[in-house]
Amino acid sequence: MKSLPSDLARLATEPDTLAPESAEDVSSILRHASKEGLRVQVRGGGTRSGFGAPPTPDLVMSMENLTAVEAYEPDDLTLVVQAGARVDDVESTLIEHNQTAVLPERPGDSTVGGVIASGASSFKRGRLFGTRERLLEATVVTGDGRVVRGGGRVVKNVTGYDLPRLMVGAFGSLGVIVSVCLKLWPAPPDRATVTVDSPEAAAEVARPLAVLQDNESTRVYVWGTAAEIEAQTAKLGGGAEAGHHWPAGPVDRFGWSLRVPPANLTGAIERLPTEWRYVALHGVGEIRAASPRIDGAADLRSWAEDEGGRLVVTDSPEGGLDGFDPWGRPPPGIEFQKRLIAEFDPARVINPGRLPGGL
Amino acid sequence: MSYLEALRGALGEANVLEEPVELHLFSKDASLLRGQANVVVFPQDADQVSEVVKIAEAHKVPIVARGAGTGLTAGASPTEGGIVVVTTAIDSIEIDLENRSAWVGAGVINLDLSAAAAPHGLHFAPDPSSQSACTIGGNVANNSGGPHCLAEGSTTSHVLGLEVVLAGGEIVRLGGNAPDPIGLDLKGLIVGSEGTLGIVTKALVRLLPLDPDVRTMLLAFPTVESAATTVSQVISAGMVPAALELMDQRMVQAVENWLQAGLPVDAAAVLLAEVVGETEGVEAEAEIIADLGRANGATSVEVARDETHRATLWKGRKSAFGAIAQLAPDYYLHDAVVPRTRLVETMSAVYEIADRYDLTMLNVFHAGDGNLHPLVAFDASDPETNRKVHEAGDEIVAICLKNGGALSGEHGIGIEKRDMMRTTFTELDLDAQARLKEAVDPSGVFNPSKVLPAGSRCFDFGGVRRKELPEGVWV
Repeated sequence: MKSLPSDLARLATEPDTLAPESAEDVSSILRHASKEGLRVQVRGGGTRSGFGAPPTPDLVMSMENLTAVEAYEPDDLTLVVQAGARVDDVESTLIEHNQTAVLPERPGDSTVGGVIASGASSFKRGRLFGTRERLLEATVVTGDGRVVRGGGRVVKNVTGYDLPRLMVGAFGSLGVIVSVCLKLWPAPPDRATVTVDSPEAAAEVARPLAVLQDNESTRVYVWGTAAEIEAQTAKLGGGAEAGHHWPAGPVDRFGWSLRVPPANLTGAIERLPTEWRYVALHGVGEIRAASPRIDGAADLRSWAEDEGGRLVVTDSPEGGLDGFDPWGRPPPGIEFQKRLIAEFDPARVINPGRLPGGL
Repeated sequence: MSYLEALRGALGEANVLEEPVELHLFSKDASLLRGQANVVVFPQDADQVSEVVKIAEAHKVPIVARGAGTGLTAGASPTEGGIVVVTTAIDSIEIDLENRSAWVGAGVINLDLSAAAAPHGLHFAPDPSSQSACTIGGNVANNSGGPHCLAEGSTTSHVLGLEVVLAGGEIVRLGGNAPDPIGLDLKGLIVGSEGTLGIVTKALVRLLPLDPDVRTMLLAFPTVESAATTVSQVISAGMVPAALELMDQRMVQAVENWLQAGLPVDAAAVLLAEVVGETEGVEAEAEIIADLGRANGATSVEVARDETHRATLWKGRKSAFGAIAQLAPDYYLHDAVVPRTRLVETMSAVYEIADRYDLTMLNVFHAGDGNLHPLVAFDASDPETNRKVHEAGDEIVAICLKNGGALSGEHGIGIEKRDMMRTTFTELDLDAQARLKEAVDPSGVFNPSKVLPAGSRCFDFGGVRRKELPEGVWV
């Protein structure tokens, strides 16, 4: 590739990898990329890089130097943090104040920006809703280098279009997320994990935090005061372990996200090929799965799409998809999506090819 | 063929209103600003809305969607003329018990939805004070809130899917019962877009189970500050109650005079707090709120004895705006939001502004969210008072923004706050919003001149702004 302009060369951490230190740096990189027609892969923790079918990038933008907590107001339940901050670090800071940003559990090296851009959510989403409901403000840099802010640092806001929400699951196609304000939630000190015989048993408690089923068992996650935990555990028939024991996402050569209407979840589990490992979120309709082979995926996708769902490839070995589309049938309104992207990233430099429909 | 003829042909004459008195009725929402409709239409379904959109685009006539017209920012006022599309005939409710959701026509009244869901032990969480009149379509357009959004979030968190008519008359179904629709979140963009991107004909909404137990309590305080401090302390204590609503003395007196609900009229402020969940939890939380209230000088703590008593307490809160009529013929209501930690100082400043302008101000608001609703009761026929009301309003919004707040929590921008957008967003921020609008509504027929101030779109990001267009022109 061509040599970098001197103001960008200082950001290089490896050949073809730049680590911006500010929104202005991100802007400089993207303006350069737009001018030269370079494909930029935005890299957070690298834990969700298996989505879509991106071509080989010309440049990698590492968010490793954008990790600061810009503002934390425990009494307001808001946090402003840069996109490169690790989810684990953020949650560790918050739990000191008995608060949580309700980001994915067991995040590994995931960053806040990566979680938002890929649309990943916490296991607690059945009770506290997903990541898109927790984003109050976003500052992003568009493909042509404009630094743009949307939303606000208050918990309730209808001031203009909901630009932050549009960033969730957009894989950076409209802009690189630089910093966000998140709506926090109190984390009660007492929590328990209760193993139950079947998902139906969870109906005994009102709106538990999560009901997870995997290849081994079904567990109900509750939290609250000690009295609440005791009462809910009793209703579930006992067998509680103190604390929350969240499963690691299954990992294999292929990773999957199966999304179906909640009423179809049990049917979806029954349709999984036997060698697939999974964690299913009851009440939500999400299954995170992994398999050594792709066999059975086409039938599963066909069924899921007929039921109003999706089977999305979240990870695959090089060349392993063999023509199997990572997203499946294109979503409705794809022309409108293209027009939105054209307004924000006209040279299509940020993470091209990550979105459905090859966008 | 004129667009009027085309509309009559597409919808039938019975669904097209053209009489001056009818046009007058539909030329204004609940704000103070009147527009002028050229025609009012009542489509029966998305196909008919699609026809209306095609006709409007072909004839370059604005389309303004309208539900019940309870909006407070002139979002549904046809200020640029054109076709007012009233969605009230699209009023089906299809409840899906297994998925705890419902496809709901845009014209369904908010309270009717919860009433239809209640026999199944379910409800729709957003509950604006106007819920006995406002429609789901309006709730979606303005991302409406209500007292119970404190714990459950605003309308956008409860919309799983939309049937929407977009540019070109294209009918699309976005989202659905399955989580995380793939691709860009057009549904999320359209919620809260105030009818400027398309016309929503149906929404797939989340229905939540009714809570197993509830404690509703009314705390009386000797000062507004002590009530506001209690609100901040409840949130910092690690609780998010179902609702935390504050009413000041003038508002309590106005409501009591009207309803005789037994409200404590001697208190400077009352706080209505509600906690929900399992019995063990709500008892503990109610106790904490009562203790914090007493520590801040609460003179009484009244816990609802039963559902009837609870309904009475809520009726006082939800009837607040109706009670204003006894004080003055008009009211002007603001909707700014501040961080909850800035509530006490913001309220002090708001009262100072009202006193300085010698205005009758009442306050009833979603304190837990930091969502203020300062309300000025006045007579709009007096131009001098009118001027003072608007100047004071601008000062109130300015102080909220200075304290880290936002222009609107749940009412929207419409025309009323459109030109204030420049005080909270940069040129590039507004340009980005204008690009969103252009991408989705290239012909610009959907509710023109709302939300974004004229000239929001920059030609490039070097800061060269398009020449300001004359007032009233839409492009």
